[in-house]
Amino acid sequence: MSSESRASSSGDEASEPYPNPIPKPPRINWPPSHWPRGYQEKRHVDEDDASLSWRKRKKHFFILSNSGKPIYSRHGDEHKLAGFSATLQAIISFVENGGDHVKLVRAGKHQVVFLVKGPIYLVCISCTEEPYESLRMQLELIYGQMLLILTKSVIRCFEKNPKFDMTPLLGGTDIVFSSLIHSFSWNPATFLHAVFCLAILMCKHKVISLNHLGHLNLSLQFACLDTYPMAFLYAYVHYLDADTYLMLLTTSSDAFYHLKDCRIRIEMVLLKSSVLSEIQRSMIDGGMRVEELPLDPLPLYFGSVRVFWSSHHQISSPRQQKRLYRAYQKLYASCMTEEMGPTKPSFEEMKTTFYYVGSPQDFELYAAFDPLADKALAIKTCNRVCQWVKDVENEIFLLGASPFSW
Amino acid sequence: MPNKKLRCAEEIMGLSSASTTASATPEGLQLCIFDLRRGQNEGQELDKILFFFPADLPFSAQFSVIGLSEGLITFTRIFSPETACEAIEAERHSHVFYEAEPDIWMVMVVEKSKEFEAIWRSDALRKVLKEVHYLFVMFHGSIRALLDKDPGGGLTRSHLYYFIMDYLGAFQKRSPFDGCCWDFLVGKKLLLPSFRDCLKERGTVQMLTVGREAAIEVQSLVRVLESCAGNIPCHSLILFQDLLVSTTLSPDDTVNLFAYAVLRLTPRALSSGVSSWSYLRKGATSHVSSSSIFARPGGVPEQFQGSDVNSPAGDNNYRVIRPLQQDKWSKGKDGFLVTDIWGAEASNLISATPTVLLHRTEERMYLCAHQHKSLTLIFLIPVSSVLIGDQGVSAVKQQVLENVSLKLLRVEEKLSKGWVGENAYHVSGYRYLLVDGDRNVSRASPAGKVTTLTKDSLLALSKLREEVDLEKSRAQSDNAGQEKELEVSIRAKNNAWVIARVTRGKELYMVLEKANETLLYASDAVEKFSNRYCNGAFSLN
Repeated sequence: MSSESRASSSGDEASEPYPNPIPKPPRINWPPSHWPRGYQEKRHVDEDDASLSWRKRKKHFFILSNSGKPIYSRHGDEHKLAGFSATLQAIISFVENGGDHVKLVRAGKHQVVFLVKGPIYLVCISCTEEPYESLRMQLELIYGQMLLILTKSVIRCFEKNPKFDMTPLLGGTDIVFSSLIHSFSWNPATFLHAVFCLAILMCKHKVISLNHLGHLNLSLQFACLDTYPMAFLYAYVHYLDADTYLMLLTTSSDAFYHLKDCRIRIEMVLLKSSVLSEIQRSMIDGGMRVEELPLDPLPLYFGSVRVFWSSHHQISSPRQQKRLYRAYQKLYASCMTEEMGPTKPSFEEMKTTFYYVGSPQDFELYAAFDPLADKALAIKTCNRVCQWVKDVENEIFLLGASPFSW
Repeated sequence: MPNKKLRCAEEIMGLSSASTTASATPEGLQLCIFDLRRGQNEGQELDKILFFFPADLPFSAQFSVIGLSEGLITFTRIFSPETACEAIEAERHSHVFYEAEPDIWMVMVVEKSKEFEAIWRSDALRKVLKEVHYLFVMFHGSIRALLDKDPGGGLTRSHLYYFIMDYLGAFQKRSPFDGCCWDFLVGKKLLLPSFRDCLKERGTVQMLTVGREAAIEVQSLVRVLESCAGNIPCHSLILFQDLLVSTTLSPDDTVNLFAYAVLRLTPRALSSGVSSWSYLRKGATSHVSSSSIFARPGGVPEQFQGSDVNSPAGDNNYRVIRPLQQDKWSKGKDGFLVTDIWGAEASNLISATPTVLLHRTEERMYLCAHQHKSLTLIFLIPVSSVLIGDQGVSAVKQQVLENVSLKLLRVEEKLSKGWVGENAYHVSGYRYLLVDGDRNVSRASPAGKVTTLTKDSLLALSKLREEVDLEKSRAQSDNAGQEKELEVSIRAKNNAWVIARVTRGKELYMVLEKANETLLYASDAVEKFSNRYCNGAFSLN
């Protein structure tokens, strides 16, 4: 992620010096040349807000500046969307001028969700029926992603120069956003505030979306984590095999060889203890299966705050999976709110499926049943699963694990 | 389209300068009605506004509300052409939209305040807008028709102003010393439906359940009523207390007339004189300051008078009938309810007999109401069928009285005997609301029993209802024919079970505070209720 190369190509406005001190990252080719070409290109670039196809897209995401300049749009060309962006800015500013902050606009099946982060405005326009809370969280993640790429210095740039053009700085990173946005539709981590873990404990699948970037073998990355806004971090990423990688973070810019040594030692331990082969096996197995549970075969799903474990892959059709995912998302939003307090068991029956969310103590259970399943039996099954989860809690969840211990 | 887009931005941005004054807006409630077809040219924006509450809000602030609303209506149509903006949720305010008639919008802005428990369900607020509009149309005809009659808009503005102010008056919080110390009315407050009203449903009728014998009596009374008018197709509505006993009107018209009866005609409405809400409307509600509600008792604020707003005639002396005015109905010696709202005597143009417009047939009807003890009998005679106006109506009334008085006594007696009082529909252990959307009928736990619920339970139910509202509206826009089937049981913070079941156009909402054992127990409790009181409509098996 070379901010240097971006700055050089971004014209007069962007050539304004980046606030110091920013360590110069090593120059790398971005995006990597080995990526398939089609994968890098943004979709529907020929569209704008006058196109019917653009208007009919199910989910839009926009990032704009408080002066109404478009920074990112999921669909369509940002430059062509300048007028639309100005409208979004006008709505937000108008409400702000009245001493309030707009959060949500509803129109039929559409929701327009707003998130203001200082001089950066984020907007989602969606007809996916996802709850407001989920969409807002998605905007937060997109903002986090943006910061990850550009660091918080960008905010200072805006404060100095409201007309600052950020688009060139994000050039080529469309794929990062697309990939993140795509994950909102399949990765429960985005609404559970959790990380997926394999049955084997060692593989932390995702914290930062950098892991979507593909095969970045042995490269020193410059990263800034939202949780530690004042720290610039260097990430040492090493792929241990095709799917598993190790990421080491440091604040020191010249720790490359030290980290390399560490990595070699860790790798040795992992190999010796056959943890790596366990991870591989676990990846191939796809985690735990319902059949392994002491119950009738039912599609099931588990979650807990911060770490989750699921069996959703056992529903084969992606459409069904998405439907189930959305249903869980709604359940989560209904139960995890200020008014409702922490999760409480609930039961929802729609035409086709039963869902259950239980919170015996410190984990949540989401499950779907056949619509014809007997309710009493379904509840009984859930209770048994809860009991079983409690018994093996230490094995399947990363209990007590903290993402970063400094 | 690009023009439209630009317009949308302009609508919002062009007015942003005015918004700086919006912070001076009195907090609480704002309610406006505007017509998107008017005031299209620069400098004529004022012409859009047909009603604004509070009327003494500076124009810049009024424009600010209407500008934002109009901007968002245009904006949301880009993505959702069929259903434009329905609600804006901001941190401190909720804006609820309702397109009452094509291009005529009603927008209510309410301030959120934890202190005053101002936690709203936007659908409940929209139903307030719907109700006031339906009632308005019932008496005055559609807003568009009024505007067509008087393009200047003065006539419409005067009518809307008095009607809505009278309506809002009904939301006014009375002092606990009501009746004896009117002067204690310090800090006037408006009551709007809040989370505490989540076991009520506005826009529905509450029915009295009658035994077989009484039902036969009622039926025979209705038949006699119909025959009184000879060949004239008249309609009737019978109420006992604040509950509907029988109707020959369409569901829509029944709801409107029932709402009016409960507001102004039933024994409770007449006797209380001041606060005339039925048990449906009573109960704790959140407050909104309304300092200006009676700020201008003298008349319509200037901008709502014809002369000010491009009225070609410059005429501001419209005769405005105010059917919702309080304390204007009373019971005459013959048992008929009388009022001078429509004038003390018939003039050449307007009859002194109240009239209403039927929603279904768009036919204007004379409204006659007769009361015997707790029984209120409303019958409607087509205006077109009574040739000699008020005199003719009097004759029909006389005839009705002669024919039905005996039956009326018997029906009243029968119903009174079977009536066990306010808590008639209380089901021990349950707090519930049952809505039949197809028939616009609802039944709920008595208000007095609902107040025993904790705030946590009510908040949880209110939130659940908000979700069900969303699901319902989505199902509606997906496929008109397909009805939503839904069951949600949530355990609130206080361990109470909060349950919603929607099936085949019927809805059941329930709070079970003492059933904190298991989900299965709660589920069984609902099943029992459904089998016993709803003919198994909500039973799963």
